[in-house]
Amino acid sequence: MGEVIVITSGKGGVGKTTTTANIGAGLSQLGKRVVVIDTDLGLRNLDVVMGLENLIVYNLVDVIEGTCRLKQALIRDKRYENLYLLPSAQTKDKTAVSPGQMKKLTLELKEEFDYVILDSPAGIEQGFQNAIAGADRAIVVTTPEVSAIRDADRIIGLLEKNKLRNNALIINRIRVDMVKKGDMMSVDDVTEILSIPLIGAIPDDERVVIGTNQGEPVIGMDAKAGRAYENICRRITGEEIPIMDITEGGGLLSMLSHLFKRD
Amino acid sequence: MQRKSSVNIARDRIRALVTSDRVNCTPEAYEKICRELYEVLSKYIEFTEDDFRVQITRTHLLIDFSGEED
Repeated sequence: MGEVIVITSGKGGVGKTTTTANIGAGLSQLGKRVVVIDTDLGLRNLDVVMGLENLIVYNLVDVIEGTCRLKQALIRDKRYENLYLLPSAQTKDKTAVSPGQMKKLTLELKEEFDYVILDSPAGIEQGFQNAIAGADRAIVVTTPEVSAIRDADRIIGLLEKNKLRNNALIINRIRVDMVKKGDMMSVDDVTEILSIPLIGAIPDDERVVIGTNQGEPVIGMDAKAGRAYENICRRITGEEIPIMDITEGGGLLSMLSHLFKRD
Repeated sequence: MQRKSSVNIARDRIRALVTSDRVNCTPEAYEKICRELYEVLSKYIEFTEDDFRVQITRTHLLIDFSGEED
């Protein structure tokens, strides 16, 4: 029996879809059978980020409405074995699917996959309720900005109200130079405010943009952000890996200075 | 460094925002809650106003009264 994980944030534009694509690729790299689902009805994106937009025949709503069988709508990834995408519908809206139907669908997928990763839409309305309906746990994505952290805090409260308690945090797009100058909140600042376990911190990395341009995950590239996503995937599978300190160079001096760092 | 780092401003702003979001009230109402809690508790427990602090988490109201960092 697999696990259903929803990737959510509240605020739009913090990197939910990129995170979903990279976690999907990363888990399949670890030999897991993975399906990623785009639950943003009307604003389909995950297919584009993964470079699979030309392969879509059927979508999530077709499956729910019974227009096709589930297997027919799953698109097999071009690069990663055992990674499948269930795309969203571009012409329907959030009322085309109900939380009950999503729950049933994820239950069915759980039978066959090790991980079912749901990319949630922004907001706290029905699209969000649909995305979390069948989830076993949530990964909340935020950036180190006041507005994104505020929304993340609300989302965590809503997840807890919906009995999703085993949640984890990803802090995305950290600019190390700005953190050092005191112009961006650090990983510790954000984690302290949101007070849920941190599962990963992603440095701001131009290769994420390059990857998105090409429809490729950053995880396959030689990039800091890719390595951060790889570590997140290992943590998802239960491995215990320390969070790397992206603000330090990693040399002996910086390690020492980190040891003696005072808050 | 001459200017106040913008992180300090951000920290203060986000703390005020999540605090009032969590209890669904305005910052002024939050101040009032703190003051009234202090007035009630100080009748029974000895502490100074400087040591008294109310923290609001998503699930708890935490009252610190010793002035010690945890």
